[in-house]
Amino acid sequence: MPMSLTTFKRLCLALLAFLPALSGPVYAQSCEALRAAQGQDQISVHCGGAPSAVFDANGHLWVAFVHEEHVYVSRSDDEGATYSTPVRVNAEPEDAEFNGENRPKIVVSEDGTVMLSWTTKTSNQFTGEIRFSRSVDGGLSFESPRTINDDGLRTGHRFDSLFLTPSGKVYLTWIDKRDMEATLARNEAYPGAAIYYTVSTDMGATFMPNMRVSHNSCECCRIAVAPHGHDNVAILWRQIYDDHIRDHAIAVLSPDGVVSDLSRATVDDWYIDACPHHGPSMVSGAQEGQYHMSWFSAGNLHSGIHYARYDLASDSPADLIKVDGTPGAGHPSLALHKGTLYLVWKGFDGMATPLQMMQSRDDGRSWSAPQTLMTTDQGSDHPLLITSPQGVFLSWSSEEHGYVFKELSND
Amino acid sequence: MTRNSWRHAVLGSMLSLALVQSVQADNIQDFGPQTFGELKSQFGGKPFIVSLWSVDCAPCRVELDMLGKLKQADPSLPLVVISTDSIEKREEAADILQGYALDGVPTWMFADTFVERLRFSIDPMWYGELPRSYFFAPDHSFTAHSGILTAEKLAELFPY
Repeated sequence: MPMSLTTFKRLCLALLAFLPALSGPVYAQSCEALRAAQGQDQISVHCGGAPSAVFDANGHLWVAFVHEEHVYVSRSDDEGATYSTPVRVNAEPEDAEFNGENRPKIVVSEDGTVMLSWTTKTSNQFTGEIRFSRSVDGGLSFESPRTINDDGLRTGHRFDSLFLTPSGKVYLTWIDKRDMEATLARNEAYPGAAIYYTVSTDMGATFMPNMRVSHNSCECCRIAVAPHGHDNVAILWRQIYDDHIRDHAIAVLSPDGVVSDLSRATVDDWYIDACPHHGPSMVSGAQEGQYHMSWFSAGNLHSGIHYARYDLASDSPADLIKVDGTPGAGHPSLALHKGTLYLVWKGFDGMATPLQMMQSRDDGRSWSAPQTLMTTDQGSDHPLLITSPQGVFLSWSSEEHGYVFKELSND
Repeated sequence: MTRNSWRHAVLGSMLSLALVQSVQADNIQDFGPQTFGELKSQFGGKPFIVSLWSVDCAPCRVELDMLGKLKQADPSLPLVVISTDSIEKREEAADILQGYALDGVPTWMFADTFVERLRFSIDPMWYGELPRSYFFAPDHSFTAHSGILTAEKLAELFPY
């Protein structure tokens, strides 16, 4: 019987999957190939839902992902070439969300505490809880997950972001609907949701009471977090202006609940009563109070992916450019390493998804021409950029290539 | 496991999958890369409305509620409802549609993980925001609308 192309492709994939097992390191491979070679019950970074990654102080890479209602953590000691057997974080299954905008987050403190947050969906009415767990034995076992939102309400607490400051403060921010519920109960209108946060100053042993950052945020976009000094963070999120416009706001949060420098960071004039599912990216600039931002909008003023440098002191964006205005383009991720800015995003040309990158060596004043890093004609996650003192790395999961973790910097 | 037995196992699981699908109680069908073209052919020379939604989209519920009432008042309304969720979430989607009395309306769910291609097949100019609706004239020229659709807006964009 002549072999069909599909059968041939499957065979090749299966063979490819065996090769690394013989030669040592398991490089990125599709989940399909991995399962064909090693069994359908594989729990692996290559099969996991919406992975995210971080380096610890010793250069070990930690990856968190979701597999069948469990969050897992896997470690790589060779920058993503091979991974340890995944360790289950939540012993009891829960509906942990995993998609481009809402994925488990992981940070590792200098003393080796591994901390995770994620959102667990509690109904199909947009309700959820912010969950937190940590390991104090180097990732061998994890504490029972705790719910961090402290209102006791069955309402929306979703789209968590987890951030560890250089001084060891753990920030958790999320989108919260407690104020919306209270306002609607009074028969008053409440556009969108609210941004809340909490801080732990003891590596996740305890958290402060929940604190509000802002009313009237958009309901369904990831929040970007970057350090502000040693103890504070700046956050960038999609905010509702004039009841219907969904642009971005920026603010600085302190560990004791003080919210400052709250201002409008983008004026795109995106007039829409809808869920864009398209959150921003932000990294700290060379000078205190300066932030590089990249975001998506389909506004009257700006449409497509954009970049700008925001200065908290002058309350204004500078060097704003349109990065990619084609309709399929989205989900930018920024990184800064040794004075070079990296911007990666997903395009779509009608047939395939190219992963695009451009760089700036002058703080975003000028940029290199976009180059295509990889392409896929199958489903894929948002690309993420991960930095360490050694360099900038791409973290990207796709059906075709599995989980790809590779260095982009070459200096 | 020999290659043959492996193939049998795969075929067997595909067969049981087909059986599972055939006993689904809902009206939900697979939306693939060709589906939108086929849909347009079915409405050849006729106007129709497309409403795109997802289970995770709160504003979409407002629109589904309006469409459910409109469809009840006028059962002949040529309405196509497409969920951009994976068809693996069909039970959740079916529950929600039933809540808005839309379970009798022709409904599709995304059945291909390469969602960018599915979105492109509907409209290359759509950024993926939801809810999103389309109003096709008899010659299939169309108007697109992003955000919650009101009955007034629908009447304005669909004068048929």
